[in-house]
Amino acid sequence: MTYLFAAIVPCIFLFSFLFAMHRKVKVYDSFTDGIKGAIPLVLSVFPYVAAVTMLSKLLDVSGVGNKLEQWLCPFFQFLGIPKELASLVLIKPLSGSGSIAVLTDVLETYGIDSYVSRCACVLYGASETVFYIGAVYFAGLKRKKLPLAIAISLFAYLAAVLFCCLLCRFL
Amino acid sequence: MNTLFSVIFLICTALLLFVSPDAFLETLLSGASKAATTCVSLIATYAVWLGLMRVWEDSGVARGISRLLRPITKKLLKTDEAAALDAACMNLSVNLLGISGAATPYGIKAANLLDKTPNAEYSSAMLFVLNATSLQLLPTSMIAVRVSMHSGAPTDIVLPTLITTVFSTLLGALLVRLFIPIKTPDLAQNTTQYFRRKIAKTRGAGTQ
Repeated sequence: MTYLFAAIVPCIFLFSFLFAMHRKVKVYDSFTDGIKGAIPLVLSVFPYVAAVTMLSKLLDVSGVGNKLEQWLCPFFQFLGIPKELASLVLIKPLSGSGSIAVLTDVLETYGIDSYVSRCACVLYGASETVFYIGAVYFAGLKRKKLPLAIAISLFAYLAAVLFCCLLCRFL
Repeated sequence: MNTLFSVIFLICTALLLFVSPDAFLETLLSGASKAATTCVSLIATYAVWLGLMRVWEDSGVARGISRLLRPITKKLLKTDEAAALDAACMNLSVNLLGISGAATPYGIKAANLLDKTPNAEYSSAMLFVLNATSLQLLPTSMIAVRVSMHSGAPTDIVLPTLITTVFSTLLGALLVRLFIPIKTPDLAQNTTQYFRRKIAKTRGAGTQ
């Protein structure tokens, strides 16, 4: 089963290249031509990624993040989210690398097959770093509804967290 | 976004001023250097996937996927812009496969193309929410983590993850539909909106 999942990506490449050769595409030229776009793309998103990561570091170091966690913890528990997951729930929309660190910590502390860990895995797999996506997708665009769109995504995220905590009790 | 950024930034800075002012610059620099390393790894990810994407485009695979997903994408984003729809189709399909590294370039392209359409507020909000609520069918990276930590049942999370993702994506799409108005490219409506905007602008200029 796990072998099957791991095989997906290599298979995609294998069949894509075979199909391209069948269609008489110059695969090497085409592949390198695509790669050319990588650096300009990253350069165009760098300012926004930099601003968001600086802000998330600042939240962390100034202790505002911690305070927020303390305030929200009772609220989370009231909603039925285990307190062990509070920091993961808070960091996931903000930072990808930060949340993977917290996730590994949770998995190691509570054991990979515990309820909390299964919840953490589902929560991690079923959500995205909302602020990062916002920063990258709308880099340089001025959309008035962006804050509303972010609020909607965060609300859907919170609902998904509640839903997955409930779901993991049964499944 | 500007207000949000400024408010959070100011609160954190003010607090840091009391706790440890010398940590401020260090924090910003470490944040920026983290962004730099993130971007370097992004170059690597995009290099791999953009290469494959171009092969897809040149061999006609991309066109096939677009044709398959176009009806539903058109309905979701409420736009007729062909190039933007193509990019959005690729973005959504790659997202479903769980290759978010490859989805981002297409998402950026789609967002930029949608920006010029009359219904941009709705379409780009919908595109963003679909991406931000995660669409993937199989949590491949999560399964890999569970295997590496010797889980007894690494694929246990597949079903709950799928249900949760579908739930949050549907909820997000529904909320966008409810809260963000759709602008039809109707001439009369466009004119009224144009004048409304103009009036708002002159009022805004008066108060500032």
